Amino acid sequence: MSFLTPLYLLGALGLAIPIILHLLHDRPKNKQAFSSLMFLDKTKPPVDRKRRPTHLLLLLLRCLALLLLAFVFARPFVTVDDPADAARRDRQWVTVLLDRSASMQRGDLWQQAKAKVQTALGQLGPGDRFTLIAYDDSTASLAEVKSWLGNASEAEVNTQLERLAKPGFGGSNLGQALVFVGEAIQEAEPEADEQPLARREIIVISDLQKGSHLDAVQGYEWPTGIKVTLEQIGEDDQGNAGIEQVASRMPWATAGAAPSFRISNSANGISDELEFLAHTTAGETLSQKVHVPPGRSRIVELPGEWVGKSVERLAIRGDAAEFDNQFHFAQNRQQTVRIVYIGEDKPNDAEGSLFYLASAFQQSSTLDFQVEAISGKSTDPLPEADLFVIGDAVNDSLAQALGQAIEGGATALMVVQSSSQAANLGQWLGADGVVVRDIASSDYALLEDLKLDHKILKVFGDARFSDFTNLHFWKHRELQNLPDEGIDVLARFDSGAPAWLAARRGAGRLLMMASGWTPADSQLALSTKFIPLLYSILKPVLKRKTQSRQFVVGREVDVTRFNNGQGGGVTVMPPGDGAAAIPVDTVFTPAAPGLYTAKGSGWSETFSVNLTAAESRTEPIVMDQFKRFGLPMSSPAASPLAVEAAKKKETHRREYWQWALAAVLLFVTLETVLAAKGSRTAEPVMR
Amino acid sequence: MKIRSLSLRARAVVEGFMSGLHRSPRTGFSTEFTEYREYSPGDDVRFLDWKVMARTDREFIKKFEDETNLRCMFLVDFSKSMEFGGDDAGVKKSDYARTFAASLAWFLTQQRDAVGLATFDRDVREFIPPRYRRDQLKTILGRLETQPAGNATDLSQALEKLASLVGKRGMIVLVSDFLSPLDELERCLSLFAAAGHDVRAVQVLHPREVDFNFEDTAIFEDMESGQNIILDPGMARESYQQKYNAHNAALDAIFSAQGIPGFRVTTAEPLERVLQRFLEERPARAVVRQRGSNGRSAA
Repeated sequence: MSFLTPLYLLGALGLAIPIILHLLHDRPKNKQAFSSLMFLDKTKPPVDRKRRPTHLLLLLLRCLALLLLAFVFARPFVTVDDPADAARRDRQWVTVLLDRSASMQRGDLWQQAKAKVQTALGQLGPGDRFTLIAYDDSTASLAEVKSWLGNASEAEVNTQLERLAKPGFGGSNLGQALVFVGEAIQEAEPEADEQPLARREIIVISDLQKGSHLDAVQGYEWPTGIKVTLEQIGEDDQGNAGIEQVASRMPWATAGAAPSFRISNSANGISDELEFLAHTTAGETLSQKVHVPPGRSRIVELPGEWVGKSVERLAIRGDAAEFDNQFHFAQNRQQTVRIVYIGEDKPNDAEGSLFYLASAFQQSSTLDFQVEAISGKSTDPLPEADLFVIGDAVNDSLAQALGQAIEGGATALMVVQSSSQAANLGQWLGADGVVVRDIASSDYALLEDLKLDHKILKVFGDARFSDFTNLHFWKHRELQNLPDEGIDVLARFDSGAPAWLAARRGAGRLLMMASGWTPADSQLALSTKFIPLLYSILKPVLKRKTQSRQFVVGREVDVTRFNNGQGGGVTVMPPGDGAAAIPVDTVFTPAAPGLYTAKGSGWSETFSVNLTAAESRTEPIVMDQFKRFGLPMSSPAASPLAVEAAKKKETHRREYWQWALAAVLLFVTLETVLAAKGSRTAEPVMR
Repeated sequence: MKIRSLSLRARAVVEGFMSGLHRSPRTGFSTEFTEYREYSPGDDVRFLDWKVMARTDREFIKKFEDETNLRCMFLVDFSKSMEFGGDDAGVKKSDYARTFAASLAWFLTQQRDAVGLATFDRDVREFIPPRYRRDQLKTILGRLETQPAGNATDLSQALEKLASLVGKRGMIVLVSDFLSPLDELERCLSLFAAAGHDVRAVQVLHPREVDFNFEDTAIFEDMESGQNIILDPGMARESYQQKYNAHNAALDAIFSAQGIPGFRVTTAEPLERVLQRFLEERPARAVVRQRGSNGRSAA
């Protein structure tokens, strides 16, 4: 047994205090006056026989309490063999989670990480189970040894490790990787002749950067018997700056807005003066100083003079880590949405439908709405459009062309404004005898029975927007003899007649309105419902046309989006000269950042792939966070990776002061009880 | 000792004693005898018996002093050691001694004997010469009633001084616990004997001083010197009793050598019985001497 603070043992000299006090205490307290002491001799120190045992016990207790107190302060401990050491001789399952995310490209982190893997291999004994898993956004098993065979197994693992020459460009989803391993361990069923596993350990070798996603761990219930050891490599002492695009995804963003980028600087960044660079396709490099104080971020718009110069790559300069300083940039092109109005309305006629339709759509940086009007009597071929709005009866040839377009996937909105449209309606719906009857009413009609769960009306699903009672319809028609099937009634008038209907015809849709939005028909055009309703009808088109061309490494890219949802026969050209084209059917997962080109038959589209912005947050995660997430962490002292320490005999210190303190309290309590008892039984001298 | 007043206490003791006395054939050492003498010019007119003169028209002088048989001097020990007792431990020695002296004084006064008082500790504190006077008893009782100032006892020194103070022969009643060294006592007592005094010694002790029946260990404090010793009474009792017995034996030897009757009483004894025992004791030596009728008056 040794003592941490042996000087406190001098406190045991305090034992003299109770002994002296007891000697003093033996002097009788009571005084007896006597006439003369001439016949009395001084006797030996008298002993009170009755109280002697109690006194001895009290003295003993007091001495023991003092002795133990000195003992407690001296902090005794015994060194014993580390129990973990003993457990090591039992069979164990070590799973190494190796971070291969982009942030591991910094400095010599990758070499350090590999060295840590070697250290972990060094502590394996014969029969142990070992799994090596690399993770970034995804989790991949690199090596699996069910029964460790020393050097042979080590060589096998090293071969697999060597294949992973350097870390990738992915993000770091540590949470998902941990849960993956946890579940794998939990689900692993021991084989019949297998020696049971004494320990299951997960060793995470990572820079544990703040950008790692841990969400998956948060709700995960860890199986018992698993310990997680976090081996952090590299200390982020110089900080890092990152760049990401903050593109406005709103389709109605004002046209001509320049792309914006967020440049962030970590709290321990070495400089607050960064350089914002742009490389053009012509090989020109443009530069601008950006002041970003450490711990802050700043939104920088691409300067106007740079926009016209076809920038292909942006960069920042001035921070310590280079791996995330490039940003590949594929500018979004403005897409055209064509809307064809078929009717006799004049564009400036505020009493007609076209005027309101043309006014409803606003130009934006990504979308260019083109509203075209043709006459229903026109004999010209039907132009292509994303949306046909039919406000009047059309002649047969046009009706036929429209019918075909709808069947082929077009969306048509038919505003029934006269009974002459009944024939067209019957033709498109494939029903005979469809009649359109004007409802003569002196009172206005209201909408009711709205089908807010339909995808067109879903936009009004929120209770804040679902009030249609302010929308008055002065005139409406009743569509009679419609087919029973294939038509959804989205809303009815309060008379019960269908107001808004939708029918799927082939690949396209035909929407019908029994009352228009002209001032003569209703208040719809002037109501807050009009524009959302039109955008909601156009939603599939807008979604397709406003797809971003900015992607992230490791996330799937749906190449069909570049070809109106049609896949097949697409090849993707990776960045860099001489890279082999990759044939892609529908989905492509880029593994490195850069500008990619997707090529199909007759079309070609360039898209950019960048690092996930979270990778730029290289400052380490606060360890408390792991504890908060309930990660079963092993204590740092028992880290198996301290190879040198493991080779030496690890000792474990066991302190016993808590027990000694408990004993002190016990003795003091006993002493109090005994002393109280003793004082009660003390008798007076004179009887 | 439930009666607080010493005079009452003395009276109660004496009356109790007297009531038994009538049946006794003995009447004590003093006999009452009253004599008249015809007045002659030059006599103190204070002593004229006015009643007889009124009755007979003749002047007679009352010669009471000359008729008094006894001059009794009480020497009462007022030292601190006499204060032992009291409260739970029974009667204080000093109370007992004072009551004894008071009772005897009362009794003797009743017999028209002259009574005097001397109190002492290390030295003589009070000295009232023996007289037969109307207020003598009151004076004595008053002095006895004062609480002793207290000090150590030095019998030898006090007695030596008293021997020179007590002039005329008479009875000396020495009341003390005699708990002091006896070295000089014999010599001092011999002074009284030599002067022809009839000395009687009354040793007043407390029962605890006799058997030393203390039980618990305590700090024993000498009431006179203030000295402390820690003592286990159980262990010390035997030695105490040995020394105590030896002391009393030495005291008895001194009394016997001087022909002094010694009374050893404890405060537990009823005072009446002690008084009776005291009075029944024959004088070791004839000290009562009839003085001639023309003794003082003739002078």
